[in-house]
Amino acid sequence: MTTPAWGTVPAEAHGPIGVPLVDLLDRVLATGVVVSGDLVIAIAEVPLIRLSLHALLSSVNERVPAPWPDSGPL
Amino acid sequence: MTVLTYAYAVCRPHDGPAPTGLTGLDPGSPVRTLPAGPLTAVVQDVPAADYAEEALRRRLSDRAELERCARAHHEVITAVSSVTATVPLPLATLYRGDERVREALREQETSFVTALDRLAGRAEWGIKVYAPTAPTAPTPDPAPLTGRAYLDRVRNRHQGREQRQNAALQAAERVDAVVQSLAVATRRLRPHGPEATGPHRTHILNAAYLLDTARTRELRAALTSLRGDEPVIEIELSGPWAPYSFADAGTAP
Repeated sequence: MTTPAWGTVPAEAHGPIGVPLVDLLDRVLATGVVVSGDLVIAIAEVPLIRLSLHALLSSVNERVPAPWPDSGPL
Repeated sequence: MTVLTYAYAVCRPHDGPAPTGLTGLDPGSPVRTLPAGPLTAVVQDVPAADYAEEALRRRLSDRAELERCARAHHEVITAVSSVTATVPLPLATLYRGDERVREALREQETSFVTALDRLAGRAEWGIKVYAPTAPTAPTPDPAPLTGRAYLDRVRNRHQGREQRQNAALQAAERVDAVVQSLAVATRRLRPHGPEATGPHRTHILNAAYLLDTARTRELRAALTSLRGDEPVIEIELSGPWAPYSFADAGTAP
């Protein structure tokens, strides 16, 4: 099997521009390997960032919201 | 100028030329590879003044800048994972220089190698399931109601809503079961709240699945038939993603 060279990464492989930010943040913030060692900063250790995001996007909320809000109409 | 090393991803050594055409987070330095034994990190120099703790905190607290960083991070990871098995690293993985990156990779060499073996030839897919939110205003009853009739009506609406919710949740579980049967690993993510989904639907399933790339066609076919079988819910498929949700162990289905 031949591996394509990085120099020839097809344009579409650069990722769809239209990926919703909320789905992207689910992946780049909430999961993944946190490499231990000499991290200058790790996102999970920055409460300020989580706080400000809380107002913007629930995907980075610490709490799992109830899927059904109680306030729905009868 | 003091620089930090921003690490995007870990993969195996690659024979091809270094990645080109990738801007990464900072246009001032190229995205490059950093060999470390049996592994290679994909990294970029970034100015410490812009990415050290306080600066980064401010940067990521700004919605527009957070989005720019997340998309730049994603672009590099997607490009790398399109050519070789890749362990994506989280946004804002920064080291005080290349040697620190090598040390971190050396320390976790075995788990990275294991992860790369597990991820080779596979991709992540996302499934989101939504249920429609109940209509906002009940239709007013023209005739005045007795107390008993009123209570009956309230109870019926309660039961109706509960039934619709249960039906949607069960449909979402059936979707999950079908996709899990095609996957080698799965992970539940947090459902999004109304800020992200809007008022007219409720997000009831947010899940990621790791699939052999050979099963992509099967996945798409399964989604087509699920959409026909489950009219109560709305199903969204996204992918293929780099295996963000499976960089660590994940859960076997």
